Amino acid sequence: MAGASRWADDEADKAEDARRKKEKEEKKRQKLAKQQAEQEATARAQQESSDRPAKRRKLSASPEVENAKPAERKLLRFEAGGWGPCRHVNNFETLNQIEEGSYGWVSRARESSTGEIVALKKVKMDYKEDGFPITALREISMLQKARHAHIVDLREVVMGDSFDEVVLVMEFLEHDLKTLQDNMADPFGESEVKLLLRQLTSAVSFLHTNHILHRDLKTSNILLNNRGVLKIADFGMARFIPPPHAPLTQLVVTLWYRAPELLLGATEYDTSVDIWSLGCIFGELLHGNPILPGANEVEQLSTIFRVCGLPSEKSWPGFWRLPNAKSLKVPRDRETRISPLREALGLHSRTTNTGAGLLEELLALNPESRPDADQVLRHAYFKESPKPIAPEMFPTFPSKAGLEKRRKRSPHAPRRGDAPALAGKDIDFSNIFAGREDEQKGAGFRLRVG
Amino acid sequence: MQLSPLANPLATVAQLETSGSQLDGIPADLEDSIRFASARLTQAAGALLRLPQEVIAQAIIVLSRFWVGPEGGSLAEHDADQVSASSLYLATKLSAFPKSARSVVNVYAYLDSLPTTFFEPELLRQHKKAEEYYVSEGTLEKRRMALFNMEQQILRVLGFQLQTSLPYILSITYLQALDVFSHPRASELAKRTVAYLNTALLSPQLLYLTHQPPCLATAAIYLAAKEIGVKLPDVEWWEVFDTDREDLGFVVVGLLSVETFAAEEQKKWLGRRVPLTVGGLEAELGMRRNLSEE
Repeated sequence: MAGASRWADDEADKAEDARRKKEKEEKKRQKLAKQQAEQEATARAQQESSDRPAKRRKLSASPEVENAKPAERKLLRFEAGGWGPCRHVNNFETLNQIEEGSYGWVSRARESSTGEIVALKKVKMDYKEDGFPITALREISMLQKARHAHIVDLREVVMGDSFDEVVLVMEFLEHDLKTLQDNMADPFGESEVKLLLRQLTSAVSFLHTNHILHRDLKTSNILLNNRGVLKIADFGMARFIPPPHAPLTQLVVTLWYRAPELLLGATEYDTSVDIWSLGCIFGELLHGNPILPGANEVEQLSTIFRVCGLPSEKSWPGFWRLPNAKSLKVPRDRETRISPLREALGLHSRTTNTGAGLLEELLALNPESRPDADQVLRHAYFKESPKPIAPEMFPTFPSKAGLEKRRKRSPHAPRRGDAPALAGKDIDFSNIFAGREDEQKGAGFRLRVG
Repeated sequence: MQLSPLANPLATVAQLETSGSQLDGIPADLEDSIRFASARLTQAAGALLRLPQEVIAQAIIVLSRFWVGPEGGSLAEHDADQVSASSLYLATKLSAFPKSARSVVNVYAYLDSLPTTFFEPELLRQHKKAEEYYVSEGTLEKRRMALFNMEQQILRVLGFQLQTSLPYILSITYLQALDVFSHPRASELAKRTVAYLNTALLSPQLLYLTHQPPCLATAAIYLAAKEIGVKLPDVEWWEVFDTDREDLGFVVVGLLSVETFAAEEQKKWLGRRVPLTVGGLEAELGMRRNLSEE
């Protein structure tokens, strides 16, 4: 690895390098010209041969011979494109900043040659530790594999002058669900929610069948264009489902969308963590606001238990074996028969019984009770009236991303570092439902504890 | 477009016709020798790092992609052993078996200390004190930066196209489809098939850059069955696996030629190392010039 020292270059070497480089460029150009000439020649030759009623062809292609042979069998041809060096980032002209994501800056830009509007995501480079950031490498690799109608399209990766400027070029969508909802007076109507949820679930199903966990599904990562098409973005936390029993970090998924088993320190988890997030998003679409907004890990758990009920040995047998469960004081004997979810979220005024049922299934505390994405797609909710709206009938909105800087209120995805430790502190949930009588009763719903 | 999960990006005709190294005046035979040696270096380093073969194969495919085409890397500019190390490091990052830069640097330092670039498995299996080959902290820092710099170069030249689809599992599925697992020598057959797929990684014809996994798997099975003496159907069974006779023939010939090529290479470089650095390459070219002048 100890090559010729790069530092020993003097002026003469530089001149020599420049000369060599020029020579190489020249050769490249000649080669290309030669290839083009050859291509043209073969094209001409082909044309000529097809123009000519050639005698020779008769030998192989005469009808008699063809009939004697068995019919040509059609074989599948596989396509996966090729590769070429990264283009320079100055092929794009930045228009405005959109937001700062979990590991990079996103901006809206125009490709100079085509005038097409794209989204650029600059990778935050901190490559002193491990070289090119593994999260960015994973995101690029996932996006290259996950080509789907409801997953944002990665067009190419470009680089800047300096080595550590790496930019992902993606299709631009006008909205993200978070900003859109923040600026809407009323939540989406039910047929609109159904369309969004179905598109989202079809993308999640595609990811899961391709062995990809997204691990950071939330409304600010879900984009929407003005033609009613939803796409999942931000694969910075995503990874392939590892071999069984490989430990995974539980420090994934933005707090408000994080499944209870992750909060309780499970190191083995699966696609059901994405399904939990899906439930949070579904609830948020119905409700208009995040449904489980905890300020920290402990409060997040208590918010979840307040809305979804307390875990019991029967509903979630593995619960007490989770690392952080030991430090919790959850009344063991209490059996919450009726899930408080419908009342806690005021669902009766926002969806049907079937819709509330689907939300309860998605937000099941026990990960094993949650349905998989395909089961969700087959759920009766999508079949009953009102039917999902047609994408082309979806209302349009002024685009914040296209015009101005966004505000950012939801917490960030967890950063690499220490896993949350609930252990050590004694957290008491035994009074979680106490004192409710003193609270103001309003807005038409009240918590009833079984 | 949904890309087939069975497919690899392939090199274009223009990429196969020339390379950055040839444009820099490196003789094609020397280029072949160095590519062959660096693929084996990657294989040896991967084995020492206890990596699964899939990760090693991806690294070899990545480095093969790096060296082809007029816009590919040139041996006159980049150290082949560094490209090998950074390719392997990149491949581990994308796998479930990440390795630290320190481990990669130490393993390459050990392989660099050996008197040959033909790493016999016995040689690697000898139990030596690994600690003796650990580099100093200062050296480590320098080599880590070199590792990261080359990683960036590879990503740029490949346009981040690191996707690889491998034929290993596919070949087992094909063998099952051919219903040969009831044969008494089935496990031998499967082993030979996998061995041929590994051979393809070392082919100077860069078979993984020119043919798709179904074709490679089919050709490997064809050869392995002939060798072991397992009878396959009398019909054109390879068409079931989307391989036509012409492609099958090409890959079969390509696979068979690797053995002769390897033997010649070993003879050619007997008692010395294939140059795996820019400096070593320049010395080799200088020596060749002197020989031709004499």
